[in-house]
Amino acid sequence: MTYFFQIIISGVVVGSIYALAALGLVLIYKSSRVANFAHGQIIASGAFIAFFLTVDKGVPIFFSFIISMIVTFFLAMSVERIFLRRLIGEPIISVIMVTIGLASIIDGLIYFTKFGTENYSFPAFLPQEPVSLWGVSISWTQLVGLIITSLLIGGFSWFFKKSTVGISMRAVSDDQFGSMSVGISVPRVFGLAWATAGLSAAAAGCIIGNITGLNFETLHAFGIVVFPVVILGGLDSILGAVIGGIIMGLIQQFAAGYLDGNFGLSGTGDVMPYLVLLIILLFKPHGLFGIHEIERV
Amino acid sequence: MKSKKAVLFNVLLVLVLMVAFTASVQAGGKVYKLGMSLAITGPTSDAGNPMSKGVEDWFKFVNDTKLLGDDTIECVIRDDQYENDATKRNFEEYLDEGIVFYLNYSTGSTLALKKDFEDAKVPVVPASYHEGNLIDSTQIFLPVATYSENIVGLAEYIVANHKEGGVPKVAFFIHPSAFGRGPLEDTQKAVAAGLKIEIVETVEHGKDLDSTAMLTRLQSKGVQYVLCHSVQSPVATLLKDSQRLGMTAKSFGEKGKLTFVGAHYTGGNDLIALAGDAAEGFLWACSYNMTSENNEGAKKQLDLAKKYGRDDKAANSHNYATGILMAQIPTEAIKRVKEAKMEVNPANLYKILNEMNGAKEYKSFVAAGPLSYSPKDHIGVDVQNIYQAQGGQFKAIKSVSSEYMKTIRAGK
Repeated sequence: MTYFFQIIISGVVVGSIYALAALGLVLIYKSSRVANFAHGQIIASGAFIAFFLTVDKGVPIFFSFIISMIVTFFLAMSVERIFLRRLIGEPIISVIMVTIGLASIIDGLIYFTKFGTENYSFPAFLPQEPVSLWGVSISWTQLVGLIITSLLIGGFSWFFKKSTVGISMRAVSDDQFGSMSVGISVPRVFGLAWATAGLSAAAAGCIIGNITGLNFETLHAFGIVVFPVVILGGLDSILGAVIGGIIMGLIQQFAAGYLDGNFGLSGTGDVMPYLVLLIILLFKPHGLFGIHEIERV
Repeated sequence: MKSKKAVLFNVLLVLVLMVAFTASVQAGGKVYKLGMSLAITGPTSDAGNPMSKGVEDWFKFVNDTKLLGDDTIECVIRDDQYENDATKRNFEEYLDEGIVFYLNYSTGSTLALKKDFEDAKVPVVPASYHEGNLIDSTQIFLPVATYSENIVGLAEYIVANHKEGGVPKVAFFIHPSAFGRGPLEDTQKAVAAGLKIEIVETVEHGKDLDSTAMLTRLQSKGVQYVLCHSVQSPVATLLKDSQRLGMTAKSFGEKGKLTFVGAHYTGGNDLIALAGDAAEGFLWACSYNMTSENNEGAKKQLDLAKKYGRDDKAANSHNYATGILMAQIPTEAIKRVKEAKMEVNPANLYKILNEMNGAKEYKSFVAAGPLSYSPKDHIGVDVQNIYQAQGGQFKAIKSVSSEYMKTIRAGK
């Protein structure tokens, strides 16, 4: 039974980190209907900025994380302002191609630095001994990651439901022309969506970097790894990202725990989430919490 | 009339300059063209980048110190970002430029271009030590012991040092590719040939954030040793999780715990950089001399890196050493072809490499043992050191070469 609960805890922890990493994709899609293929690069940038501040500049690690989130907030906002704002109203495929190009540009810029090709790890700042309860263990890094994820997701949910800016963002997501007619600045909302996505990506980068170590290829791959999470939960739903992330995490851990190594199976932890995703999409093509839009023609 | 004279004068001037330039080039010795394609950026560039620096620095050293007299080596190094089609394009362009020797990188591209190498009849040294590179190939020369020799050698070490009773139970943790799977097949052959280990399970890893389920399962099946054949990043995550769960053996083969061992690209300073103290005790097979050994070879490697302004991280990397050895092999072959008063061309370099054995074997300061080739043996350095991570450094604890791999190869 301990094994079962251990797998549940691991699944929830992994899933919540997926959810945080996926949050940025949802925020951008929710407001502008754009799938951002440079999200992984922003995740990696956040982690490297925090590492640079901590190790090279001697800033305490907690402040480094905060500063890295602020930097990526403005970085992502600038990206939207410079590259994407002029594409408002253009075909969506053009915008997606720009995000792919953006990924290449950020790749190139990171390869100019030491972080492109070298491996690092954050200095240990949490106790090394895991937290254990009734035989179920969780590392401090995972626990702190879980807490930060919960706080951020809770904060964003409140922001979208209660704050004026959040409501404006939802309005833009619903109907851009309608929003403009009531005085909402659509470009400003797009900029904010990118900025908040940058902030959440940096948080995800710092947490993933603490778990896996800092390797550029590993970090930016998470931008793609979390795509199934947002598709499962619904591209435009924060709750969907959370539930989708946790479902993915649980499936991965249960498959690795109970299927791999039995019945001649191996690697099911990587395959099963996609299999479940396909099955769910058969019945819910817009994901679990995605909005099903009906268009009159 | 005046303009005609001016044109004639200009044409003559150009001709004189061209003759003068050609003469100066000839007087300055011959230039031997080499090509290299590897991942300086993109996937696995943490290995490819320092490797390219090793290659570059060694050839600079050869030219600066006139190791080949007035002759020089011109090696063009291109980034393929770990993409086979880019590697193929680079190789074909190098052929058009008239290279005499080629340096390649990944397992995927070496296997994919094997036939091209055969057709071009150009000697090739790859940075991939996959056993399959040598099947149906005459032009490929591996610099050091193969991944299979690493893994089977480590399995032999486990058998020799296993203190608990019974047959050691091992699990494989491998990269989901031809690169990862190769040594598993050879270990299975070694087991069939009498190597006394039990392979309990094989795990092909993904991009895992938590290995708890897998590690718990392995332990519940009585696994004592985990043989890793991948790159450092997934191994680092595995080691961190094992440490967190209190599963890592504090001494080799500790009862009820997991002892982790790994092949060439799993270890080195990059593993310590990623895993920190969770890497402590990790056993690693590698045919290169680590700078942490503080021996004469290490000093020469560090001096070379310092001479060309490399930082500490590159200077101490075993991938930098790999680059040096990859460049030393063609350099030595060119030197010997010249000494034999033969023309430096692919055919003669190939011939001289196949004669590099016995008294003619080559000793490199970056390798754990001598490098030798023969028509039947295209694996350069057969010796490998088993290193153990101790206090944030890899220290050599034993020098081995795999006996079972000799048996397996004899049967192929």
